[in-house]
Amino acid sequence: MITRIPASPESVQKVPGEPHEIRLDALTVDFDERFRLVDIDWRLADDQHWMITGANGSGKSALAASLAGAGQVLAGRLTGLPANVALVSYETQGQLIEAERRKDDADIMDVISEGTSVREILQEGCQDDALCSTLVEQFGLSGLMDRAFRKLSTGESRKVLLIQALTSKPDLLVLDEPFDGLDAATHRMLADHLASLAEHVPMVLVLNRFDECPDFITDIAYVEHGSLLHSISRQDEQAYAELYQLLHLKTTDLVVPSADPVSSLPALDNEQPLVRLNQVSIRYGDTTIFSDLSWTIERNQHWQLTGRNGSGKTGLLSLITGDHPQCYVNDIFVFGFQRGSGESIWQIKQYIGYVSTALQWEYRVSTSLRHVIISGFYDSIGLYSKYTDRQREIADQWLALLGMADRADQAFNQLSYGDQRLLLIARAMVKHPPLLILDEPCLGLDDMNRQLVLALIEKICAGTETSVLYVNHHPEDRIAGIDHHLSLDPA
Amino acid sequence: MANYFNTLPLREQLAQLGKCRFMHLSEFDDGVNALKGKKMVVIGCGAQGLNQGLNLRDSGLDVSYTLRAEAIAEKRQSWRNATENGFTVGTYEELVPTADIVLNLTPDKQHTAVVNAIMPLMKRGACLSYSHGFNIVEEGMKIRDDLTVIMVAPKCPGSEVRAEYVRGFGVPTLIAVHDDNDPNGEGLELAKAYAVGTGGHKAGVLMSSFIAEVKSDLMGEQTILCGMLQTGSLLCFDKMIEEGVDAGYASKLIQYGWETVTEALKYGGVTNMMDRLSNPAKIRAYDLAEELKDIMRPLYQKHQDDIMNGNFSATMMADWANDDAQLLGWRAETAETPFEKTAAGDMEISEQEYFDNGILMVAMVKAGVELAYETMTSAGIIGDSAYYESLHETPLIANTIARKKLYEMNSTISDTAEYGCYLYNNACVPLLGDFMKGIRSDVIGRGLKLNDMSVDNARLIEVNQSIRSHPVEAIGATLRGYMADMKRIV
Repeated sequence: MITRIPASPESVQKVPGEPHEIRLDALTVDFDERFRLVDIDWRLADDQHWMITGANGSGKSALAASLAGAGQVLAGRLTGLPANVALVSYETQGQLIEAERRKDDADIMDVISEGTSVREILQEGCQDDALCSTLVEQFGLSGLMDRAFRKLSTGESRKVLLIQALTSKPDLLVLDEPFDGLDAATHRMLADHLASLAEHVPMVLVLNRFDECPDFITDIAYVEHGSLLHSISRQDEQAYAELYQLLHLKTTDLVVPSADPVSSLPALDNEQPLVRLNQVSIRYGDTTIFSDLSWTIERNQHWQLTGRNGSGKTGLLSLITGDHPQCYVNDIFVFGFQRGSGESIWQIKQYIGYVSTALQWEYRVSTSLRHVIISGFYDSIGLYSKYTDRQREIADQWLALLGMADRADQAFNQLSYGDQRLLLIARAMVKHPPLLILDEPCLGLDDMNRQLVLALIEKICAGTETSVLYVNHHPEDRIAGIDHHLSLDPA
Repeated sequence: MANYFNTLPLREQLAQLGKCRFMHLSEFDDGVNALKGKKMVVIGCGAQGLNQGLNLRDSGLDVSYTLRAEAIAEKRQSWRNATENGFTVGTYEELVPTADIVLNLTPDKQHTAVVNAIMPLMKRGACLSYSHGFNIVEEGMKIRDDLTVIMVAPKCPGSEVRAEYVRGFGVPTLIAVHDDNDPNGEGLELAKAYAVGTGGHKAGVLMSSFIAEVKSDLMGEQTILCGMLQTGSLLCFDKMIEEGVDAGYASKLIQYGWETVTEALKYGGVTNMMDRLSNPAKIRAYDLAEELKDIMRPLYQKHQDDIMNGNFSATMMADWANDDAQLLGWRAETAETPFEKTAAGDMEISEQEYFDNGILMVAMVKAGVELAYETMTSAGIIGDSAYYESLHETPLIANTIARKKLYEMNSTISDTAEYGCYLYNNACVPLLGDFMKGIRSDVIGRGLKLNDMSVDNARLIEVNQSIRSHPVEAIGATLRGYMADMKRIV
């Protein structure tokens, strides 16, 4: 959702032509006692465009959100904020999805709530209908206007929020990872639009990837442990290079903890493939997402799956995991079961480790980090079973690997976004499943953690019996050892 | 058809009302085996029908949907729900004769027509399942002797039944077997397997009776769950306006206040909800609740009596026969109330402020929960049952008010609940007239605003003890304990 600052005595009406600056003076901001920005001194001039960067959990998103009035100011001053600040972030996206979900959760008897349509979401706060229509077209959302917002894919709902922000005539535009989850064409289109918008609207972009930094960015803020460590000008090449280096920490040697010999899975027939889809399709009403798709994943094969936003990547994966209801009307053979022959979904899921952005949003439980990893043994979101000492030991080894050994009892929902992702990958791998599905595992991660994740996946590819199925947009995120490729884009 | 409950001798009535036992997880070791390979046909594809069906199919069971021929021909929402999810859909004539078990998941009002239509089509020795016993108990529907009749009633909305299953958990579920229709003695095995198929066994299953389910469900929904929240909303809003509180603020305090204060109830019962108040406010809320309970007790008793002797269902069925004239009239009246017509303001209200400025709302929830529980248990309903039908469901209803006020609550609850809610409200608003005259904005709208927060120790101990020792607190602590792992962020 777009966050607007209510006009307060300290918010400023801009006078055209007059230079003006936003000032953070010794500002300390508390975010629900989970995180604190400490003693921030920062000046943002009218003619500057900033990139905020730093490691996962450093406070990048918090600093950006503070410009939109998030958090509680404990000390210092924040002055000169314009009246209309638009913010788009994973957090705002998650909140809106959660709000839509609650509309549905709350029904009591027998009404299926469709939720708010994309059209209604876009109309809210729109100041420029013409621009809105153009962007809807450019983002390829024209066909989705009457779809319920919560039924959109991750990439699609991101686009809706971006359009909402861009059309609100903001005085300051704050975008937290705007390019994440967009395919290459959409990425270019948005970058171009932002570049033209930059001529009259100051911007603050939170970016994990240096290589995504648009040309119009004039200054870079580097955040660590809630403090603004460096703020450098883009023109200072020396400082820019050092900062890049700082984010590229060397990956450590990784050793994947072993599986639990006691709770091992029922053996699979080595002669049969793990997955065999025969001419499968997904259809909603008259819309066909894909059809006539056949695909076989043999044991010990590693696959990469690509496709533009909305091409049905996640749908295809959920036919395999059994999360898609249409898996019962397709010819699907997985882990020795012909789907729809009386098997239960838990018999399928026991062979799969799964990580995605959607799973991260689903994982709304205040369970401890250790329990999140142990829940991977039971394929549950939250832990509802008594676990063994051995399982606990294995979970602790994974925590040590991730550098989180001292946080085993901390609550999962208090972790930063990137740390949550690392933990969910560990959860998925903890039982050494025959098939590990990673649906855009690097979405929302910074360079350092991205390298850590990719290194971890390479280790898994090389050193375990697990077949990896990897879905990703970024061509540069290739993984050594993945040699099979399936594209859902039309040839 | 005659009211079934009223045909039973007193000792049988008491025995049925007193049936309620929390089942042990080991009683479900047989899993879904009793239903394996059997053909399950669901009637109705609303939120309960669809989501229960999705769970049962994911548990390895054979599920299809039967709809009326018109619903299929016109491709209505229920048809789309079923087909888009990959289920076989057919008419009654096509599917019911093939069914080993028919799951009737239609609204109460349709039960008589639906059951009369399908009963002749059902095969000999099959099973008919309900998720609410109104048709059997209040309408006295007589089911063919060779058919087994069971009930499996998840105590949560359909969307949650699905969401919890997908997480690897489930929702608390009530099961029952209709003793008059258990010719092969297999009813309990089937009901247990069904509860496993929906995931309910993981969150706790209550073994009850059709009668206990109906008489407690009706009582809970008309009084504390919907009636008290509606009456409280209307009275608190009018009072705040009279006291000069900003209308937008008053509207928001009520619309989101019920959800916020009952969230505390969900986690830690009445005790925790009261503990969210400052000490002086807690004592005020306690005193107000005691006063409210004395005034409203006869009304709760009247509702329970009318439910027990069948007056309630007879009155409501007369309205069904009269094209819902009363129901629709009351619905329209509710839409015209000042609370309903005033939009919530856009000011911030912090979570704690809902407690601090909503002392009377907290008192109303406490009084309503305790009275409903006391009245049900004194009428022979077991505490576990009374807990689920009062305290447990209050936050679920409060969520609907947060969405779109009373309109949303009344349009998402069943027509049966809605009708009872208006009966309650129409009696309770005048009943509290004198009481409300003594109310000022310190307990609703503005908070106590005390400089001195001190209280008398002895008095505080007395109040705390009284809150904590209410029987709904002990049973609640036990039942919530079974779900301790379900610590979710809502």
